[in-house]
Parts: sequence; structure tokens; C-alpha cells
Amino acid sequence: MNNHVLVKLAKRKPYSSTPDMPDDAYYDSIKGYWMDKKGALVSSGSEYGARVSKKCDQETGEDQKGE
Amino acid sequence: MNVDVLVISSLYDFSTDLVIQELEKNGVSYLRLNKEHFSEYRLTINPNTQSLDADVFGELYCVTSDVRSIFYRQPVFLRNAPAEPLSLQEQLDRSQWMGFLRSLTIFKNARWMNNLASTYLAETKAYQLAIASEIGFTVPDTIIGNDVRKFSEFDGTAIIKSLDTVLLREGSDCLFTYSTISNVSKLDDDEVSSAPLTVQEYIYPKIDIRVTVIGEKLYATKITSEGKGIDDDWRISSREELEYTDVDLPRAVKENCFELLDKLNLNFGAIDLIQRNEEFVFIEINPTGEWGWLTNDCRRIDVDISNWLMER
Repeated sequence: MNNHVLVKLAKRKPYSSTPDMPDDAYYDSIKGYWMDKKGALVSSGSEYGARVSKKCDQETGEDQKGE
Repeated sequence: MNVDVLVISSLYDFSTDLVIQELEKNGVSYLRLNKEHFSEYRLTINPNTQSLDADVFGELYCVTSDVRSIFYRQPVFLRNAPAEPLSLQEQLDRSQWMGFLRSLTIFKNARWMNNLASTYLAETKAYQLAIASEIGFTVPDTIIGNDVRKFSEFDGTAIIKSLDTVLLREGSDCLFTYSTISNVSKLDDDEVSSAPLTVQEYIYPKIDIRVTVIGEKLYATKITSEGKGIDDDWRISSREELEYTDVDLPRAVKENCFELLDKLNLNFGAIDLIQRNEEFVFIEINPTGEWGWLTNDCRRIDVDISNWLMER
């Protein structure tokens, strides 16, 4: 199976089950979104908004939807 | 509290944070459930009354058959390819929580983005290509299988891609397969026979266009590097090298996009097109495609999704 072309062409990277988060970030289960000491962690164009990237599928779920 | 909008997501799905903040701003009664917390919640579905009772860290919620909409950002199935053997508990969790999520289909009067059954079907690349072709999209020559002899019809260079996402684990690494330009005439039987793959006509020159459809709204964004199309899979390029530019699609192409979602019974879809000169070629549609990377002041996809969820 390791000889299969899809495995040969695959890009390899270290696996991480969770993304790196800022130290002061916490998830507010009542509000239903991440917060930090300034308020909402994610906003349009913020690091944790813009980083929700098609390029980061593996971290953000688009391609982990079956995991 | 009675819930108007139910959101099924995961803790690190930051795009969902954007939608939730919009729902909050608009005073909507919502509940977000994250897969990482399922065992910490106390959840009860009653199929007879068509309701879901949720105790979320002491806060009580009720989802009834009158729930307005469901934003479903979770798997519709689980790949059976764990990197390490699953414990008994993990096997039980995986099977039963997925069954629980599928049970949410009791909320058949709710507006779904997207309906589970529709997502499952629409994820099938062969099916979406067939439908796209039927409605008038130009689609690339494509074959799917494990017979290397058939690949010779591509006369050399073609695109190799998987049928379903290849995200494998080996030790501390993960492996991910992108669409790759390859000389398929050089492939051997032992490189393809063990598992099927997709071989597709290489469209060149190309400009990648991501079309995001939310209900009746549509955004088309050209993806370039230094103003030019990217020959390979653009996701391999570094973020700093990429430019995202809004484009206005020809009316017929827009209509095809809307019709495709209609035929697939989707209310959200991320469509990948390739522009070759003046021609637009359909590549694929992702019913659960990411969109957070596209949001800016002019592309408030989060607002569009929350507005759609709030509609009656």
C-alpha cells in the first residue's frame, strides 16, 4: 500500500490534534465562542479568523470532517 | 430556554465563532454544541415529541420541532482509518455519537445548512461531476478507478487526486494528498491497483476561482500569485504569496452554480472552478467547504450565513 501513488504524493507534516491558542484564550460555553481578555478572540480578519484558511484545512476541519 | 438556531460544530471551528457572534448581536436564541464536549453535556432526544433537551454545563436548553434552523458543521460519517487502535470506549463513542447526530434529522421542518443526507451524497465527487455536466457546466475529462491501462488515454500529463480526502496518520506525522500534476503514463499497476484514484484532464492555463454560495448569495473569488494563475494546487503556495480578488462571473455560470446547489439540495456550497481563457470549468463542490479565509469587510460570509439561519 505504501507504494500507492496517493501515498507517494502525500505531503507529510507533524500531526497536531489541536491548534496553538493564545495563553489567555478560553472558550465560553454559554456564549458559544472563544474569548480573550479583550473580548471575542475571533473576528473577521483577525488572526484566528483569517487563519481559518482553506490552506489550514487539516487544522480547521474541512478535511478532518470524517475524523 | 427554547432554541431557535441549533449549531453542531467543534471547539476549534473558528468560522462558527463568527456566525455565533452575529446570532448573538441579533438577539437570536441559539445553542452551539461541540463534538469535544459531547460526553460532558447531558443530551436527550425524544423522537416521539421530536425534541432535544440539552444540559450544557448546568444551562438547560430545549430544541423543539419548531426550531428555525440547524447549522451543521460536523461529519456525516467517520472514516474508518484511525492511526492507532481504538479503545473499546473510543469505538463506542465514535459509533454512538454519530448515530446521535444522525438522529437530529428528526428536525425535518428546520432549515438545514446543510442537510446530512444531501451532504453525504454531494460529497461524492463522481456524482457531483455527473450533475454538474448535466446542468451545463464544462467538466474536465475524468476517470476513476484502479486500472492503470485506462490512464493512457490522458496522453501524459494529468491531475491525480483522491476520491475522498486522504488524511492519513503514521506515527507522529499526518499525510495529506493535494491535487498533483503527474505524468500518468509512467504509473505502474502496483502504484494504483490497491486503491482507486481519480485522474483528471489538466486544465492549462488556469486561474482558480472559489465560488461560495449561501442561499441566494454568491461570492466569486479569483486566487492568484503575483497576478497570475497558479499552475499547481494553490494550497501548496504560502499564504503570503496568494491574492484573493473578487470577480464577476458570467450570468450563465452563476446560474449553473445556483442550479447545482438546487439539484444537490444544498443551502451552502464552496465550488471550485477553473478559468481557462474565457471558459469556466467545474472542478468540484464542497458542501462543508471552509470560508473563514475569505471573509473581509466586503465578503461577510459570516453575516450571510447567520442571516440565512435567522430567516423564517
